[in-house]
Amino acid sequence: MQKDPNRVPGEPMTLNFGPQHPATHGTLRIVVELDGETVVKATPHLGYLHTGFEKLGEHHDYNQYIVVTDRMNYLSPLSNNFGYVLAVEKLLDIQVPERCEYVRVILAELSRIADHMVWLGMGALDLGAFTVMLYGFEEREKLYSIFEKTTGARLTTSYTRVGGLLRDIYDGFEEDVRMFLSTFPKTLKEVHTLLTRNRIWMDRTKDVGVVSAEDAIDYGFTGPCLRASGVDWDLRKAEPYSYYEKFDFDVPVGANGDVYDRYLVRMEEMIQSGRIIQQALDNLPDGPVNVDDYKISLPTKEDAYGNIEGLIHHFKIIMDGHGVQPPAGEVYCATESPNGELGFYIVSDGSGKAYRIRIRPPSFIHFQALPHMIEGGMVADIVAVLGSLNIIAGELDR
Amino acid sequence: MGLESQLGDNIFTTTIDKFVNWGRKNSLWPMPFGTACCAIEMMATLASKFDLSRFGAEAIRFSPRQSDLLIVSGRISIKMMPVLKKIYDQMPDPKWVISMGACASTGGVFDTYTLVQGVDGFIPVDIYLPGCPPRPEDLIDAVIQIQHIVEQESVSPKRQSGAIAS
Amino acid sequence: MSEGQEVTAEEQQPLVVQKVQEQYPDAILDVSDARGELTITVRKEGIYELMAFLKSDSELAYNFLADVTAVDYSLMEDVLMKHDYARFTVVYHLLSTERKERLRVKVPVHEKELSIPSMASIWKVANWLERETYDMFGITFDAHPDLRRILMPDDYEGYPLRKDYPLRGRGERETFNFEEQNV
Repeated sequence: MQKDPNRVPGEPMTLNFGPQHPATHGTLRIVVELDGETVVKATPHLGYLHTGFEKLGEHHDYNQYIVVTDRMNYLSPLSNNFGYVLAVEKLLDIQVPERCEYVRVILAELSRIADHMVWLGMGALDLGAFTVMLYGFEEREKLYSIFEKTTGARLTTSYTRVGGLLRDIYDGFEEDVRMFLSTFPKTLKEVHTLLTRNRIWMDRTKDVGVVSAEDAIDYGFTGPCLRASGVDWDLRKAEPYSYYEKFDFDVPVGANGDVYDRYLVRMEEMIQSGRIIQQALDNLPDGPVNVDDYKISLPTKEDAYGNIEGLIHHFKIIMDGHGVQPPAGEVYCATESPNGELGFYIVSDGSGKAYRIRIRPPSFIHFQALPHMIEGGMVADIVAVLGSLNIIAGELDR
Repeated sequence: MGLESQLGDNIFTTTIDKFVNWGRKNSLWPMPFGTACCAIEMMATLASKFDLSRFGAEAIRFSPRQSDLLIVSGRISIKMMPVLKKIYDQMPDPKWVISMGACASTGGVFDTYTLVQGVDGFIPVDIYLPGCPPRPEDLIDAVIQIQHIVEQESVSPKRQSGAIAS
Repeated sequence: MSEGQEVTAEEQQPLVVQKVQEQYPDAILDVSDARGELTITVRKEGIYELMAFLKSDSELAYNFLADVTAVDYSLMEDVLMKHDYARFTVVYHLLSTERKERLRVKVPVHEKELSIPSMASIWKVANWLERETYDMFGITFDAHPDLRRILMPDDYEGYPLRKDYPLRGRGERETFNFEEQNV
C-alpha cells in the first residue's frame, strides 16, 4: 500500500461501525482505522447484548433453563435446546428412547437449514442481492410453520425436555417435512443460478477474509467456517452423538477459506442435512419419546390424574428445588450446531439447579478472528466477512 | 358543500391535519432497533409472506435522522441503553416508538444484572407489544395502532401538546 | 471429579497422564475419568509450560483449545477441601483433532493471588476467552496481550459470575451512568 504512487498521504481515519448498523446483524461494534479504503486496524467491541445467561443458569432448574437456550440462538433454537439437554442427559447418564433421538436429529437438521437460509439471505442482502433474502425467508417460513405445528412456537421453541421431548410429533409431520424436502432444493438451485457464477458475487467474495487451515484451528474455528478452510472436522462424524453414525452423509470441505468457500460449504450442508432428514424419516422408529423414569420426565396425563404416585411424581418434577437432580459432577458436551461446536459445560452439586453453566459459543470465538480477517482488506469487505461468519449476537454476548 | 361544488369533481377540501396525518400514517419509515430474537420476527414481517409494505411501513431506514417510527425489538442491556437513547434523540419529530416483545417492555424472562427492565424508563413508548417474540401479525397490528395514534395528532403546535400522552 | 475413580496401576493410566508425569512429575494433583471425560487437576506453577507441552508433543497433539472458563467453588465445601481451599478453578477444555480426544485441565487458583499465566501465545483463541473469564470472575491473566473487560462496560464494578454476586446485580441497573457513555 505504501508503495502505491497514487496514494494520497494523510492521517488514518477512524470509523465506528455499529453497534446499530444495518450490516452488523445485531449488536456488533467494530472500530476500524482506515487508510483510504484499506483497513489498517480493527477493534471489535462486544457485550451490547450481554444478558447474563450463565448466571441465570445457576438460578433456574434444569428444565427451566431450556427456555433460555432458545433465546441464545434465535436462528436455530432447536439446535441449542438439543445441545443443552444432551449435556444434562450425559450428566444424568441416561439414554433417551430411539424415537426421541431421531426426532431430535430431524429437527436439529431442519434448524440447520433454517439457520443457513437466514444466513444466506442476510449475507446476500448485505452485498446487495435483495432477491436472495426473500427466497431465503420464503423457505424459512415453511420451516417455521412446521416448527410451530410441532412445538407451538415459531421461534422460541423450547421443545426438548431433559429425558425426552415436550410431546411427540404431530400426525402429518412426516408429510410436511417430506414436502419441504422436495421443494427446498429447487430454491437452492435458483440461488445457485443467482449467485454462484455471478460476476459481482464472486468478485466480492473470492479471496476475501481468507483464513488458512492452521489459523482456523489456532483461532478455535469450528463448523462451516473451519471446514471452508479445508479442515475435515465435523462433530457429527468425529464424535457421533444421537445416532449420527447411522446416517450416510458427506461433510463438504472448502479449500481457500474465503467468504466464497464458506458460502459454498453452507449451501452444500443444507443438501446434506436434507439427506440426513430423509434417512431419519425413512427409519423413524415407533415408541415413546420420553424416558421411562418419572424422576426425570413428567408422568403421562393418565398417571398424573389417575393414581397418587403419578401425581406425586408430577408434583415433584414441577416443584422448585425438587425437579431433575443429577449427581454431583461435571460434564462438557459438544454438539455440531449450525455455526460450529456448541459446548455446554455443566457443574452440578447434586441439587436441582446447576452449580455453574458455561456455554462455549461458536459465534464469540469466530468473531475474535475478525480483525485477522479484515485487516489489510477494503472497508467494503468487512460486511462480506462479517456476513460469512454468521455471528449471532445472542450467542456472542450471552 | 358550497365550495366543493364550485371547484368541480376533481378537487376535495379537507383540513390540513387530516391531510398531513393521512400522508404520515401511510408512509411510516421505521427505524429498526433490532437486537435479539424479536429482530428476526421483524425481518420476517418485512419479508414476502407478511409483507409490511401493505401497510406503507416497509421503507426501513437505518439512519435515525430519516425515520419516524422506532421499533425497539429485543433485549436492551445497560451497555446498549445509551446507544438507544442517542438514536431516539437523533430522530426528528414527530416520532413514535413501538416496544416490541417482553424484553424491551419489561425485561422479560431476563431479570438479571445487566438488562434494562423496560425501555420506557428512558424513552417514551407509544405501543407495548407483548409476546416472546410477538408474531409478525402482532407487529403489523402494532403498526396499525401507531397509525391510529398518528391520526390523532395535529400539525399545529398548540394542539400538538398533550396529543402524545404516553 | 468427586465421583471419579482414582487410577492406581501405572499401566492403566491414559497416555496423557503418563507423559505429563514423566515430564512434570509434581504437576498433577488429581486425575479422574468420569462419564468418559478425562480430567486432570494440575498445579498453577508451571502451567504455561505444561500446556505448551500438551500442544507441541507430537503424540498428544492437543492442537485445539475449545474453551477457557472458571468456576467459583466457594459454595462447594468438598471441592474446596480437595483444592486446599482455593476458591476459583480455571478450566481448560482441550481437543486433539488428530486423535479425536478431549482433555479437561483444571487449575485451582487461590483468591489471594488471583492470577494465572495467559495461554494467548499458545492458542490465539485463548485471548478473548481469558478476557471473558477476567470480566466475569476477576482472575487476571499474566502476560495477556489485551486484558480488558469484554462483555461488561469498562467502568463496571464487580464480577458477575462470582457466587457472592446477586443475580439482579447490586443496583447497577438503576445507578449505571446512561448519559456519559462514549458511544
